[in-house]
Amino acid sequence: MAQPMFDAFQVIADPSRRKMLALLYNDSMTISSLAENFDMSRPAVSKHIKILQSAGFISIKDVGRERYCTLKQEGFNEVREWMNYFDKFWAAKLKNLEALLNNNARN
Amino acid sequence: MALSIKHQFYFSQSSNMVWAYLTNAELLQLWLMKNDFQPIVGYEFTFNTKPKPDLHFDGIFYCKVLEIIPFKTLSYSWKGGPGDGIITLDTVVHWTLVEEAKGTRLLLEHTGFDEVKNLVLQAGMTEGWVKHVQKIIDHLNAAPHGTTNV
Repeated sequence: MAQPMFDAFQVIADPSRRKMLALLYNDSMTISSLAENFDMSRPAVSKHIKILQSAGFISIKDVGRERYCTLKQEGFNEVREWMNYFDKFWAAKLKNLEALLNNNARN
Repeated sequence: MALSIKHQFYFSQSSNMVWAYLTNAELLQLWLMKNDFQPIVGYEFTFNTKPKPDLHFDGIFYCKVLEIIPFKTLSYSWKGGPGDGIITLDTVVHWTLVEEAKGTRLLLEHTGFDEVKNLVLQAGMTEGWVKHVQKIIDHLNAAPHGTTNV
């Protein structure tokens, strides 16, 4: 089944996923040990992990029979992309305003 | 700590004139975007622009006037998302006008890029975690933004 696309904000919006990220912040964890912290079925935990992985928040690595989850920082890039976008946006818009006001003053 | 974008511009015109360009929908459209702004606290309006698929943005900013002090300050919420009422950007735009001897200083602060911080607060973290997240916030702050144009 196709995994729906989630953006960084939707990923963070879910409290279980936030808790997973919090747990993973200190160290990598196996999916089983992560699941112990949640009162939900193993498939439900796996689904959240899949979402975290596809959004770039975590990476999953197989070590022996265990699957290890590790936190990545790339998932936070979207916030930065918005900020970069608006930084340029406002600089350009304010230049428009300056040109308008100066034009007005001359007429 | 708030992540914000700041810009500062100096105009030789009076603050009344600059204020008009911030609060009159038609004048606002000339330099910013198509809008249905009205200078009334609590008034909800939108700015319309081109969609940005890279940012999962459908081209509509949903805004609500939060504060008005005529000729001095104006702030409104600034939200957006991919469409269907989903909001993924929840920020605030603040304008401050300072009258100076020969013109007006206009300060723009776009705040609320705090999702990382919210992530920490809402998940009920320990002190150690907060310290770690500070590193991410510092990392985000190292991005090139906050340029000041005078």
